[in-house]
Amino acid sequence: MKHIVPFLLLLTILLSACSAIAGTANPSSTSFDINDWDSVVAAAKGQTVTWYLWGGSESINSFVDAFYGKALKDRYGITLHRVPVADTVDAVNQVLSEKQAGKDPGAVDLIWINGANFLSLKQANLLYPDWANKLPNSLLVNWDNPAINRDFGTPVDNLESPWSSAQFQFIYDSARLNPAELPRSYAQLKEWVIEHPGRFTYIAPGPGAFQGTRFVKGALFEISGGADQWSTFDQATWDQWSPELWKYLNELKPYLWRNGETYPKDENELHSLFANQEVDFSITQAAVGAGALIEQGLVPATSKAFVFDQYMIGDFNYVAIPANAPNKAAALVLANLILDPELQAAQILPENGFGLGYGIDINRVTDPAALVKLQDAAKKLGDAATSPVDLAKSLAGDSDAQYQNLVETGWRQNVLVSSK
Amino acid sequence: MAPAILLVGILFGVSLIYGLAQSLGLLTGTDQRALSLAAYQNVLYGSEGRGTEFWTSLGFSLWVAGVSTLLSAVGALPVAAWLNYQNGRGRQMDTLALNWNLAFPHLVWAIGLLLFFSQSGLLARLAALLGWIQNPADFPVLVRDRLGIGIIVDYVTKEIPFLALIVLAALRSQPEDYGVVAANLGATPWQRLRFVTLPQIFPSLISGSLLVFAFVFSAYEVPSVLGMPYPRMLPVLALDFFANPDLHHRAEGMAISLIIAAIVVIAAAISLHYEKHAGSSQ
Repeated sequence: MKHIVPFLLLLTILLSACSAIAGTANPSSTSFDINDWDSVVAAAKGQTVTWYLWGGSESINSFVDAFYGKALKDRYGITLHRVPVADTVDAVNQVLSEKQAGKDPGAVDLIWINGANFLSLKQANLLYPDWANKLPNSLLVNWDNPAINRDFGTPVDNLESPWSSAQFQFIYDSARLNPAELPRSYAQLKEWVIEHPGRFTYIAPGPGAFQGTRFVKGALFEISGGADQWSTFDQATWDQWSPELWKYLNELKPYLWRNGETYPKDENELHSLFANQEVDFSITQAAVGAGALIEQGLVPATSKAFVFDQYMIGDFNYVAIPANAPNKAAALVLANLILDPELQAAQILPENGFGLGYGIDINRVTDPAALVKLQDAAKKLGDAATSPVDLAKSLAGDSDAQYQNLVETGWRQNVLVSSK
Repeated sequence: MAPAILLVGILFGVSLIYGLAQSLGLLTGTDQRALSLAAYQNVLYGSEGRGTEFWTSLGFSLWVAGVSTLLSAVGALPVAAWLNYQNGRGRQMDTLALNWNLAFPHLVWAIGLLLFFSQSGLLARLAALLGWIQNPADFPVLVRDRLGIGIIVDYVTKEIPFLALIVLAALRSQPEDYGVVAANLGATPWQRLRFVTLPQIFPSLISGSLLVFAFVFSAYEVPSVLGMPYPRMLPVLALDFFANPDLHHRAEGMAISLIIAAIVVIAAAISLHYEKHAGSSQ
């Protein structure tokens, strides 16, 4: 044992030497001026952009390759290297470990990101700063919208640029239920659940299961009579309303699937309970509603999305560039490309397999041909989607990020663990 | 021996030092630069639900690991005794059967159990098809249950063969003469088992069981697949903290991991002690 300690010290020194060498071995990428877009495009030519994105959906993967991979190659001479990750937190951990190992340039050029993972990297100061508003297509983004300039309540500060939008919705099976009997509010949901014991459940709120957190926040909004007061953090408001929220959820609990003793941990688990007819509702965030899920065979073909009249939380998702990205120019070009109106129109069509909503504001699109494409695409969302009018009517912004943790830990303590 | 110790020392030593540093709040990606015991305090007696959940998880882990170990040990004895009794013919085949089970990774075994025994599993569907229950959801809850029965079933079915092999090795290395001598001196078969055979296999059985305990106590994948959101076993809780997007929770995840490691080291030390004892008695 005596010999191990000096050896470990030696090893540590060797390891740090390695990272120092690695740091100097790779010269920094071709220089460009972010304020001069032509210089960015010129620097990006010939680069390979490594994009880490959640790879759990085969249809999204092929959409990315077919639409962005091809356009990057044809228009800019950039090669797309798509790295599928099981969870975005893996990409975050990659960047964090690179920082700890002193690795610059790193391996990641672009990450599909939002919410808590964005907060992690922002907190650790690991994001390339001041670029999102410099993209030419950034003019099409409505940066005045708090749903865009705040990501789960965290100011975006030009550290990330939007890709698409999503909104909380429920899914039902039109072969099992008819639209008239669907609940349209949390109050009606409670009545429905009590009349149909064991036929409803929701995703356990917690890190990595934001859909469940969102379901609970929607209830909080309805119980407290509005979403607006939750957009800024106030402990007193929380203390006033959270007991009501736990009361509501505990009233649901005995009538839930498996008596609320356990909950599905993610969307896929809930989809399979729904497909297996153990419960009658599932949850989705997609603009095409159940469309993409039907294509993947995860839910019955007769599934349709629906919303309550109010408090269906919607948000945007983004791409961010790590501070140690080796090919920043190519990453910037890709981040700009995904805001291209034509590709935005392509991303919402169910047959293309992506299925999330617009990241840009179509009212800002001045090119008439592009505008027509965007408007047409919005009309072709398919039967399994909620109508855009209903979506817009029920839309609520997410609450301040500080509530996220309160809702999640509070739910564990007061609903999951509690024997009430 | 030396190169092996060196390799293990490097691999584990470095990770351990790294883990210790993270549990004290360093290298977690936050801007903390000073050592702090806050993570341990939060975990052991924090008020935010973390403290209380740590103790529940510790209790649950001890329960699952304890019951799994006990049942595996009790189950392994007759299996090994029976195999040992099958002198000569078929010996190799029997051991092969045990090894075959060991070849399955725990993750595969756990997912297999889930596919069979869950309420949407094969058995539930079969039972519904045969009309024993009205629909698959009426099937009794055997996995993802509050008592960790699914987890225990997974470990017991995997660890009985493991312990049986260990006991079998001890039995087969034992000279037959002791038994013969005892019989000559008038010992009944029960007395031979109780006073001759059992004392000889006990040290290996106990050290093997402690290894099983340490493994079950610290493994992640089975409780992750077959467990519930509450109560959770310690490794699941640790990873949940560590993967929390708020980097300040990483230290707490690491603190729990080190507590797990400490308990495992204690079990391993006791096991080593028994192994030595077993070696010296022969």
